[in-house]
Amino acid sequence: MAFDVSGTDLVRAAALLGAGISMGFGAIGPGIGEGFAAGKACEGIARAPEHANLLTRTMLVGQAVSESTGIYALVVALLLIFVV
Amino acid sequence: MEDITRISQWVVTVAGRSVTLNATTLLMSWVVMAGLVGFAVAATRWPRAVPGPVQAAGELLVEGFRDLVNDTLGKLGPRYFSFILSLFVFILVSNWLGMIPFLEEPTKDLNTTLILGIVGFVVAHVSAVRAKGWKAYLAQYFQPVFIMFPLNVIGELAKVVSISFRLYGNIMGGSIIILVVSDLVRQLVLPPVLQAFFGFFIGTVQAFVFAMLTLTYISVAVQE
Repeated sequence: MAFDVSGTDLVRAAALLGAGISMGFGAIGPGIGEGFAAGKACEGIARAPEHANLLTRTMLVGQAVSESTGIYALVVALLLIFVV
Repeated sequence: MEDITRISQWVVTVAGRSVTLNATTLLMSWVVMAGLVGFAVAATRWPRAVPGPVQAAGELLVEGFRDLVNDTLGKLGPRYFSFILSLFVFILVSNWLGMIPFLEEPTKDLNTTLILGIVGFVVAHVSAVRAKGWKAYLAQYFQPVFIMFPLNVIGELAKVVSISFRLYGNIMGGSIIILVVSDLVRQLVLPPVLQAFFGFFIGTVQAFVFAMLTLTYISVAVQE
């Protein structure tokens, strides 16, 4: 069996592989971080239900901030898929 | 599946330079603005002591956000309240627009989110100069030691990048997931659920987060 793989094909394959790896590893951090934030917010609400509004608001903003590394990974993956 | 990368553009020539306009983004931004103006007119033009549903929704939104902004900014709150609220409402309606067939979110374009981030950046820094004066404003870049100046500048610029890429990435990623999964299930059952999750839930959260982060940047800038 003969394969005809040229340089551009290799670059494309490497880019797609890189996109998958970037997204996979980039999702670990935000996953752990957001789960941690949600867990702590749950504890806080259980302890002080009257502050549930403020806690939920703060949790959402904090989660969105910790999500940014995941979003960077997504942007890098999109660039690798559609631009390279 | 091909429409992920398709961008409809207008190329116009102004004074010898060719200018590229993203047609979809522009049109959809105008749709959002028209909808918001229509809502504002419907909510305020015929005020009643016992408010109708539209007026009640408007009052709820304005009152909730006024308390939020005043909590964060204190006595400076009224000055920035309308800016933060319009930022929130514009992004919210933009994100919801993707749920309607044939319409697209203007926030799916990095140009929109980047300019929203830059507007927030400029407002934060102008209000910092107004609150502290030039000398104190420039001095904060040399804290804690002189060497840290480049790092502080990069830290400020990274805020713009992170806030705009966050909104863009969430909306763009959501619409790509909707396209791919809808294609996988042959457009059966699942697409409306995905639209509701990514458009309604994620869209609301991201609009709120964008407004809150801009508010936080302003409140950090005007303090001390």
